[in-house]
Amino acid sequence: MKRLLESSSAGLDRRAFIKVGALAGGGLLVGTYLRFGPSSAFAESLPATADAFTPNAFISIAPSGAISIIAPNSEMGQGIKTSLPMIVAEELDVPFEQVTIVQGDLNPAYGRQMSVGSQSTPSNYAPLRRAGATARAMLVSAAAQTWGVPESECATEKGAVVHLTSKRRATYGDLAVKAATVPPPADAPLKDPKDFKLIGTRVPGVDNKKIVTGAPLFGIDVKLLGMLYATYTKCPTFGGKVVSANVDEVKKRPGVRDAFVLDGIEGLTPGVAIVADSTWNAFSAAESLKVQWDAGPVSSQSSAEMARQAEQLAKSTPPAPLPAGAKVVEATYHYPFLAHATLEPQNCTALFRNGVMEMWTPTQIPASGQGLVTRGLGLQPKDVVVHITRLGGGFGRRGSNEFSIEAAAIAKKLEGTPVKLMWRREDDFGHDNYRSNGWHYFSAGLDNSGKVVTLHDAFVKMQGGPGDMSAGGFPFIVIPGSQVKSSKLPPGIPTGYWRAPGDNGNVWATQCFVDELAHAAGRDPLAFTLDLIAAAPAGTGRGFDPAKMTTVLKLATEKAGWGKARPRGEGQGFAITHTNNAYVAIVADVTVSREGELAIKKLTAVVDAGTIVNLSAAENQVQGAMLDGISAAWFQKITIANGAAAQTNFHDYRMLRMNHAPPVVEVQFIKSSAPPTGLGEPGLPAAAPAVCNAIFAATGVRVRTLPIIDGSLKWS
Amino acid sequence: MSKYTVNVNGQTHSVDVTADTPLLWVLRDSLGLVGTKYGCGIGECGACTVHLNGSPTRACQTPISEVGRSEVTTIEGIDAAGKHPLQQAWCDLDVPQCGYCQAGQIMSAAALLKRNPRPTDADIDKMMAGNLCRCASYVRIRAGIKRAAELASAGTANGGRS
Repeated sequence: MKRLLESSSAGLDRRAFIKVGALAGGGLLVGTYLRFGPSSAFAESLPATADAFTPNAFISIAPSGAISIIAPNSEMGQGIKTSLPMIVAEELDVPFEQVTIVQGDLNPAYGRQMSVGSQSTPSNYAPLRRAGATARAMLVSAAAQTWGVPESECATEKGAVVHLTSKRRATYGDLAVKAATVPPPADAPLKDPKDFKLIGTRVPGVDNKKIVTGAPLFGIDVKLLGMLYATYTKCPTFGGKVVSANVDEVKKRPGVRDAFVLDGIEGLTPGVAIVADSTWNAFSAAESLKVQWDAGPVSSQSSAEMARQAEQLAKSTPPAPLPAGAKVVEATYHYPFLAHATLEPQNCTALFRNGVMEMWTPTQIPASGQGLVTRGLGLQPKDVVVHITRLGGGFGRRGSNEFSIEAAAIAKKLEGTPVKLMWRREDDFGHDNYRSNGWHYFSAGLDNSGKVVTLHDAFVKMQGGPGDMSAGGFPFIVIPGSQVKSSKLPPGIPTGYWRAPGDNGNVWATQCFVDELAHAAGRDPLAFTLDLIAAAPAGTGRGFDPAKMTTVLKLATEKAGWGKARPRGEGQGFAITHTNNAYVAIVADVTVSREGELAIKKLTAVVDAGTIVNLSAAENQVQGAMLDGISAAWFQKITIANGAAAQTNFHDYRMLRMNHAPPVVEVQFIKSSAPPTGLGEPGLPAAAPAVCNAIFAATGVRVRTLPIIDGSLKWS
Repeated sequence: MSKYTVNVNGQTHSVDVTADTPLLWVLRDSLGLVGTKYGCGIGECGACTVHLNGSPTRACQTPISEVGRSEVTTIEGIDAAGKHPLQQAWCDLDVPQCGYCQAGQIMSAAALLKRNPRPTDADIDKMMAGNLCRCASYVRIRAGIKRAAELASAGTANGGRS
């Protein structure tokens, strides 16, 4: 790395960098290219030692004994920069603390480089095990050849090969040069999971030291020599365009180097760029920006109008007639738009030079940013280099890459000068891809025995984006004659992936309604739900396994002491979800004062997510996801007025804070050697319905509209 | 633009910025101390928390012209080796998720522990409610503060500058 940085500062040709990068699939790996100033110890890359053993794109072992492992996917708090290299290290059989972890750039050699859909671990688990096992087998071969002994007499331990009978020992570093000459085996043996030493343990995040000492790490921390700072102002109304802007006046503001309108670029929302010598000077100058906007057709949209339209749509799809004599239970559930509000506002640093766009981006899908820039600016993919920084939160927000194309379009105008585009918090709230609002108009019929004989859901959401409903999931799958009729509001408000897409709102609605049905049937919600689960045929509805769901629900309710009598004002509720193939049951204990003040006293979660790679990160994810779901349900709402978001910053977009966080949050994982499922999202969907069901148990008040703070929980 | 002299982490720096430039951007853009984070710009999220003469302060709400001779301490200054009890506790308990808010959390917690070496849950809730953790790592932040209090009282970690 040092050698490369030196040569880069000497002005190595841009295309030469790309060529070096392209070798990554075979051997030499290059991470970061140039221009980090001395104060920015930001760059990471695999050591570019010529004689290193690089059996594949993920591993480098130098003769000095230095071992580096690539973390291919974007780290946004889900722990993937630690847990994916743990998988490699497990099969390679090296102590994790001896390994240097390197964040990979966008590189096809790394396979599926997307941190979305809780798929980073499931999709990388097998390939990364093979990568580690292949390297280990080659090192064993190298040792056996060196010693003239059969490979079967050799074993590995703690980064060394040992000859079992003679007790000879060679470190991986000792064997690196020889191992590089060994042909990789096609099917190196994988460890038996019972022999895992690292997978399943608690390993602290590899960046923790940098985080607690304030070292540069995130996209916002990137600093290149001669870098300028940009803001980009878009029409508050979605779909609006620039008619004119006072850019000549803005250019006279302190520190401003340039100001210009950008329009007519594919994939880029039109707007006004201001480029200055500091972030503050860019932000200040933006305050003096006056733009005449063409607001466009979306300006007539509002949340209130959408609610009217949703009701009309739902009523146009009446439920099938109920069987004679059935008891009817009807309820309407509504959840609002949500912002992602990643604490690090969107940003991207870009440098366009010699036909190459080089970007440093906190993105969940680097290839999507590369694609946007490639198409929008007419570049070839090989000329768009993406370095992945750490992300200050993702939650689905950074899968779309508007910030990448915006930064690249600005940098292209300032050829040769690096530019950091920084969104203000207000840009972030005003131009999110929001979680869609949604309405569920449920009607169900119960027979005399309390059995659900029909369930109808007229579901309404925005057109486009994730979150559609079908009758294929729980609980619809277990109720004969269930119907889900989906209707869509006209498009216009940008919507997108928000942690646990679809499930984040729909599981709340369905799990609360199941609780309503249990009470309407006069049954204990636990027994009622266990009966519903048991009725599900295995393998239906996204591969639903009733046995696994039963296990987590029984254990969670048992741990939480389900069924005990409680005084008014105290209540317990539970909910379940099958999300990203994980099974989650959550029990919430709440208190509600007569005045309606809610306190969550305890959350108890039991999760079957298959093999747990890093127990510490897994527990952190489930705790965080539960509180994220509760934060959204309790406090959060984006309101649309005149085709724009009404909320602008954290003063009017409330989120959960320390004083509302439950004092006790227990998470237990079912021991399993099944392949890992997703885990970044599954902890979220069942948390809010567990709390709402607990509120009902405590007060008799049923929360059917989110956020909870918009309603009253008073009881007497 | 005007020249200002600021004392940050025991060192004196001279910067040339407009009078209304928040300390946050002086630290980040002028001095390259990027541990202090921008989250909201209106003093609502706490990601930019630093100490001014030992008091927790939102750097985004502190214009450089008002800093004067105050001693500024940032996350980089509480213990560069990461041996402050809070830093140790944060690493021991693997507190961070995305980590973006954690510098601000630690600076607020450091001010809390200085005034109140054995805080209760209620003390922690009150002091830390100004620091948003978007990943909601609150359970571990709370545990981290308690662990740091134990480490500090046992004298097993550096007390730090602040």
